[in-house]
Amino acid sequence: MRKPALVVLVVDDEVQIRRFLRAGFELQDFAVQEAATGAEGIRAATLKPIDLVIVDLELPDMDGAEIVERLRAWSKVPIIVLSVRASEEEKVRLLELGADDYVVKPFGMAELLARARAALRRQVPGQQGDPIVRAGPLTIDLATRTVSLDGRPVGLSPKEYRLLQVLAQHAGNVVTHVHLLREVWGRAHSDDAHYLRIFVRKLRQKIEKDPTQPRILTTELGVGYRLSVDIG
Amino acid sequence: MLDLARLKWDGAHVAPIAVSLLIVAAVTALLFVAGPLLDLDHAAFGYLIPVLIAATRWGVTPAIISGLAGLAASAFFFYPPIYDIRVTNPAHIADLILFVVVAVVTGQLANSVREHVNAARQREEEMQALYFFSRRLAVASSPADIHAAIQDHVSAITGCRVALFAAGAGHSPPETSPQWPHMPKPIQRAIVDILDGTSNGHEAPLFDRKTGASWLIRTLSQRNAPVGIKAIELGRVSRQSIDAIRRRVDTALAEATATLERIDVAHALGEARVRSEAETLREALIGSVSHELRTPLASILGSTSVLSQAPGVAQDARLASLVEVIRDETERLSNDIQNLLDASRISSAGVHAHLAWTEPPDIVNAALARLHRRLEAHRIEPLLAGDLPLVRVDAVLIEQALSQIIDNAAKYSPPGSTIIIAARAVDATVEIAVSDEGPGLIGDEATRLFERFYRGPRHQAAVKGSGLGLWIARAFIVASGGQLEAASKGAGEGTTVTVRLPAPSADASENGDA
Repeated sequence: MRKPALVVLVVDDEVQIRRFLRAGFELQDFAVQEAATGAEGIRAATLKPIDLVIVDLELPDMDGAEIVERLRAWSKVPIIVLSVRASEEEKVRLLELGADDYVVKPFGMAELLARARAALRRQVPGQQGDPIVRAGPLTIDLATRTVSLDGRPVGLSPKEYRLLQVLAQHAGNVVTHVHLLREVWGRAHSDDAHYLRIFVRKLRQKIEKDPTQPRILTTELGVGYRLSVDIG
Repeated sequence: MLDLARLKWDGAHVAPIAVSLLIVAAVTALLFVAGPLLDLDHAAFGYLIPVLIAATRWGVTPAIISGLAGLAASAFFFYPPIYDIRVTNPAHIADLILFVVVAVVTGQLANSVREHVNAARQREEEMQALYFFSRRLAVASSPADIHAAIQDHVSAITGCRVALFAAGAGHSPPETSPQWPHMPKPIQRAIVDILDGTSNGHEAPLFDRKTGASWLIRTLSQRNAPVGIKAIELGRVSRQSIDAIRRRVDTALAEATATLERIDVAHALGEARVRSEAETLREALIGSVSHELRTPLASILGSTSVLSQAPGVAQDARLASLVEVIRDETERLSNDIQNLLDASRISSAGVHAHLAWTEPPDIVNAALARLHRRLEAHRIEPLLAGDLPLVRVDAVLIEQALSQIIDNAAKYSPPGSTIIIAARAVDATVEIAVSDEGPGLIGDEATRLFERFYRGPRHQAAVKGSGLGLWIARAFIVASGGQLEAASKGAGEGTTVTVRLPAPSADASENGDA
């Protein structure tokens, strides 16, 4: 018995982009809904249950921030933003407003699917949630607060664990610098990016095989960090 | 008052005196003929006529002379003893004294009326000239118009020759000035000194010994910088009239300076408007190019990524390789467009770096991830020291720059060769060196490499490129406060491009305790 297909709402004014997204998602057994404008997208999201929203940053009738804000006003549906290069501040703003992740145009379908799956994973499965997060050789048990690498326990300081925990709660998706600083050090330190760099470095030394070429705790330049779950 | 010192015997004064004396003679003749008939007792008063005429028309000197002549003529012809200058009758003496008093008083009055009329006329003329000058200034649209107006106005009000020398770059020294081929040397020197900035100008008039002429030299400045120098040849004139001329010239120059500044402001505003229009156009063009070209490319790239996953394509190696061709070529096109957009953004708006603390390896890894497919034919060897200090840069710009550099290394070195990316700390910087095994650099290539549109002549035919990549890389690195240089041991010896990024020691570096 197959479970019912997950519904993806694609909000983009470019018909060609919608076409390939439809093809790409349908090949992966998603059902696709299309909307050409922000207003149409919001209407579609209210009419039918939607599992995932893909929204273009530049829509003719409203900007990406507005649509993310309006969706977040009543829905926890995962949102992935299609962005362009050289707009890191805009990406951070959208993530802060509640978008789950972004991909930069031009992008490949594999990249978008990975982001989409990660965002869906947080929402869908057995609502009690799976306390175990796996990222390649790394296992994080959020229930027992234990971390192990290739089965061997890893000793982390409380702050290091907290950092890893926040990333694990968004496993596979980007978490902004500001968000991490706020969650780990508190609101007063949300500008102290230097702390974060130092702790990420310490954490990488404990969980990465080669800390200078991290595969688990990866960097999104100018935006934040990501706990990469689909490591080949 | 009678001012004998003001008597002058040059041509301009002789004629009125002669005419006055003629009138006195005519009055004498008239009285001589009519006197016996009319039995005139106070003949002296007839001489008030020439005194009044002379005072109203020619001023004090002719009036005094007329009066003295009248006095003498009365005494000689009409008061006994006749034909003798002496006068004996006391009544007649009183008559003559009275005549002198009346003549002096009326002469003074008439003269002051004349002076008032003259002053009023001169004022009106000056006003007229100033008004005309103002109107010319008001419609002036360039400094040249203003200079011409000053020239005409100053020569009109002074009646002197005026020469203008433009100050600033490319000024012509006075001796070659076509306006004034025979300017005395000391005056030329004074002007050259002002033009060179060694002198601030001369408040007092200059006197040229050789010709005996006085010169006024005035600087016309705009925002405290001289824009022109006026040399006015006053000729041989008295100090008083030099002062008067100087006042009028300075008034005119002050007005001209104000106008120059107004024009300058208007000109600057006009230029700013044109520039901002060009800017808007360029922005619009970039915006539309970026949208019109990037969107279809994104569709193509996205579609190929779907195609390559589709079972029908993935299982057929020939189809899969075709899709790969489309993908790779579209990616190349997309990069080229991005380069053009970046280049245009750099030259129009400049680069605005958002500096933030960054792990150097993060930058290298992001660049390698971006170039992943383009580097498939090469061996990539990252040699990143583990304890590099954090750099304070715009990580996104530096990653783009580093991608350009690594991509360049791959483009110009043979497949299968190694590209080493080594990062190390040097003083307060982190050096990232990208070394390839390519053709190396010869001649001035190491310096010209980063020029816009520069492409090494040896590779133009063999390797595709726009010559923008490294220029963009440099702009991005410099914007972050970094440096970029290229070195090579020579032809065939490979190239090393080194990026130096600022790594200031941060106070907070060890404060984030667990």
